[in-house]
Amino acid sequence: MSTARAAGVAEGGSSRRSLVGWWKDPWRRPRLLLGITLLYLLWSLLPVLIAVLFSFNAGRSRTSWQGFSTRWYYGDPLQSVWQDPSLHTAVVHTLWLGILATAITIPLGVAMALGLDRWRGRLPATANVVVLLSFVLPEILLAVALLFVVTVLQTPLHLGTVGQVVGLVTYQLSYPVVIVRSRLLTIGAQYEEAAIDLGASPSGAVRRVLLRMLLPAIFASTVLVFADVIDDFVIVRYLSGDASTEPVSVKIYNTARAAPTPALNALATVLLVMSLLVVFVGHRAYRYFTRGERDSSGIDVFAGEV
Amino acid sequence: MPPPGRPVSRRSFLAGAMLAGVAAPTLSGVLTSCGTTAHGGASLQIPAPDHPVRWPISTAHPAIKPGLRPQRGSTLRIYNYASYLAPQVVKGFEELYGVSVSVSTFNDEDEALTKIASGGLSFDLYFPSYDSLGKLVGADLLRPLTHDYLTNITNLWPQFRNPWYDQGWRYSLPYSVYTTGIAWRTDMVPEDIGARKNPYDVFWDPKYAGNLAVIDDWHTAMGMVLLRNGIYDINTTEPADLRLMRTQLNDMLDKTRPRVTITMYNDLPAGQYGLCQMWSGDVVNAQYYLPKGQSADVLRYWFPQDGRGMVDNDLMVVLAQGSNPVAAQFFINYLLDPKVAARNFGFIGYQPPQKSINPSELVADGFLPKNLSTATVLPRYFTEGVRLLQLPTAADTAYHDIWQEFKAGG
Amino acid sequence: MADRAAGSRTRSIWPLLAIPGTVWLAVLFVAPMYVVLAILFGQVDPILRQPVPVWNPAHWDVSQFDYVLRHIVGPDGFFGPALMRTLVYVLTASALCLLIAYPVAYFTARFAGRYRGLLLAALISPFWISYMMRMLAWVNLLQNDGLVNKTLSLGGLFDVHVDWLGGHAGTVVLGLVYGYVPYMILPLFAGLDRIPAGALEAARDLGANRLETFRRVTWPMSRQAVIVSMLVTCLPMLGDYFTNDLLSGSPRTSMVGNLINESVLTPGETGQAGAFVLLVLVVSLLPMALYVRASRTGAEIRT
Repeated sequence: MSTARAAGVAEGGSSRRSLVGWWKDPWRRPRLLLGITLLYLLWSLLPVLIAVLFSFNAGRSRTSWQGFSTRWYYGDPLQSVWQDPSLHTAVVHTLWLGILATAITIPLGVAMALGLDRWRGRLPATANVVVLLSFVLPEILLAVALLFVVTVLQTPLHLGTVGQVVGLVTYQLSYPVVIVRSRLLTIGAQYEEAAIDLGASPSGAVRRVLLRMLLPAIFASTVLVFADVIDDFVIVRYLSGDASTEPVSVKIYNTARAAPTPALNALATVLLVMSLLVVFVGHRAYRYFTRGERDSSGIDVFAGEV
Repeated sequence: MPPPGRPVSRRSFLAGAMLAGVAAPTLSGVLTSCGTTAHGGASLQIPAPDHPVRWPISTAHPAIKPGLRPQRGSTLRIYNYASYLAPQVVKGFEELYGVSVSVSTFNDEDEALTKIASGGLSFDLYFPSYDSLGKLVGADLLRPLTHDYLTNITNLWPQFRNPWYDQGWRYSLPYSVYTTGIAWRTDMVPEDIGARKNPYDVFWDPKYAGNLAVIDDWHTAMGMVLLRNGIYDINTTEPADLRLMRTQLNDMLDKTRPRVTITMYNDLPAGQYGLCQMWSGDVVNAQYYLPKGQSADVLRYWFPQDGRGMVDNDLMVVLAQGSNPVAAQFFINYLLDPKVAARNFGFIGYQPPQKSINPSELVADGFLPKNLSTATVLPRYFTEGVRLLQLPTAADTAYHDIWQEFKAGG
Repeated sequence: MADRAAGSRTRSIWPLLAIPGTVWLAVLFVAPMYVVLAILFGQVDPILRQPVPVWNPAHWDVSQFDYVLRHIVGPDGFFGPALMRTLVYVLTASALCLLIAYPVAYFTARFAGRYRGLLLAALISPFWISYMMRMLAWVNLLQNDGLVNKTLSLGGLFDVHVDWLGGHAGTVVLGLVYGYVPYMILPLFAGLDRIPAGALEAARDLGANRLETFRRVTWPMSRQAVIVSMLVTCLPMLGDYFTNDLLSGSPRTSMVGNLINESVLTPGETGQAGAFVLLVLVVSLLPMALYVRASRTGAEIRT
């Protein structure tokens, strides 16, 4: 106690403050931690910013700057993202996969979350465990297992868009389930009960009260699943068919190991912009739906943390 | 965080496991009817230069009738290595016949064969090497060629009218010819590799550790190990030779930490390493991947003077699973046209076996720079050189096991 | 709270809602694992060497599985080094991730103040950037004529030509750290956020210095979050093969994901890929169960 007092007293007279005193002061500003955090942010984002910068390189190099140009996006007749048919196809296919997979995952996942939350019994408990397992499973295990299913069984599943969408939905299903269930836990049953007390039918209570209150979580999981799907690599690579079903991530991987040009950086930047747009729109919508609620900056939900 | 739920009790888990155990055999009956049929017991014929093979004509997939033309607006699906077909050539075909061409790529033939065998993909045209021909014909995956469409065969070197691996050219036509040698950059490797007594030794020379690469193809890399030891039967099945390959490959990992890749045509000019095992076409192609301002003078290529190195050619075959065999055969014929072949050569760097392209004049005609004249494929190499042949199943497994050990890193 | 919800226990709507998802997972997540077993213990077609699954366990053939097991340890054990290497890389990378993520998460949770939302957005942004793009960015920087070498040469003062991409374990581990550290920051942040500020202030008031406060208050209260975030980072890393492929062309740094990737499309070796998949599954079952348990306990503490 006396040491702290002494340190506090010493702090008051700033001219007599020693380095040791400064270090020991429990209430000083956390400059070290701030430094570490800023350094981390730099290390994390600078390489990506440089890659985006080089997508505007006028020359073929991805390491030496040769002037500013948008040729890799639009101008170059054979190799730009717009004109090269394979790059073009990759972007379109990625978007298509994103939309399809999200459109299936979200309803399935939200329904499953609602059902698992209210249904008691051994089967839903097991299903819950399976969902959690699929949340942390290394992706390559699922990708290989589905590849085997597709190649050795005569099923409606085949390599290509169908196989990829099915694989993506399976892998992503746990996200909406986990996010929505956590939100349900926070909401509790009191709003539904109040609605029923006021005369709503049970299914009406669910539809008009519960779902309305779940909209933020549903939005958050939609954005999350979409961003995850368009960046997915392992599953879509194993389940891809011919070149028309290779999404951007596979194109980047194949070309990075062969003969990359800045068109690759341009491709990745296009995808980045799409992701950010979706997140921005989703976040705005989330804020709109949770206005009036305390403690809802909500940005961390957009990375799956609840 | 996920909310709490009732934990799974041991009893319910065991009950579930028992149920699964009972269900599995009954399910197996159902699943067998859903499964793909294994390919029947047709035996594997292995062609060799001294043992030519004439393949049986497929009954399930007969040759298409002559006199047809490709349908405008249809799609031709090609399955090929990356950067192995000039985009202008493809575009030219699209404009000529109104057919849209889609090119899908693979990294190695093992992967390609697996995807083709899985059946769901329906490629029309495939570019294998002749060591897979036996498997493709044996599994009935090919459509015989209709010679009426392929009039440009007269442009090819005469020996390809009746090659030992496909007598009577029933299923295939050659696409490119190439040798496998050693390439290096004079600015990153001070010595003349070709002047060494045994140039192959350089891959075990610790002086170049971390500065070299071998080709990511099991048979090509392992063949080089055999050639290093003066063993010219690079399809050997002798256990002693197999043991030798295994030891020396692992030794290479320890001594020089090679990269294992097929993108030498990009990496060597980019300066990622100074020395590599390389296909002749790749070293010719490499001059176009050099950074601005870097002259092509630095590239060198070595192939044994006596011609006793690895010589091969790639093929074009029509897959039975494809839906556009007419366009596929028109495309093959289009590629055999001398002007188209020359234009393709300019892009991919691999020499086509065309009569109009004189190997001894490639330097004079501007296809090759003088310092890469050794990358020419001369017709005499085809009599003196050694070939990568198909292996019998047991030997194939043994080779693959050694390669797997090499790729696992030791 | 449960009274009215109890009324819903007898309603059939809830099972009906959950059934489609449950069936989907059962058919497309659980059942394919059986297909993996059927291929691992199945046959190989003689011509194309494609896998032929055998569905009846009574007819299973253990030779492929046996081959893999025999080559893990012992004189012929060439898979063993790759498996060991995977464990070493993953544990090292996870430890490094923790070292980086903890201070950053701590700062964001405790000291970010009014910049918290912005900081969080910046920390989360890697989730929305393709993993491939982030690795591609590093491949560009680490090339022999890339910016890293150029910076280290200090514009010509020194001649630095480190071959970063030439098959070095360090490059691969750093690549893994770069790729997966965002996964760790979020759960850590959430866990550290939950530590009531009052507890820390009380410790200070009672005379504990910074180190003691950390050791006796902060660390024990964040332990559960650390476990969860380590698992969320470790487990996906086990199946990674593309980081090694992009950052190192050499077999000397291959991981178990590379073993799977090499064998799954090679005729005759597909069964071995199944064996590796089974192996990784078994090895990760324990951490996965730990994760399930840890996430449940965490929720109980919170509510």
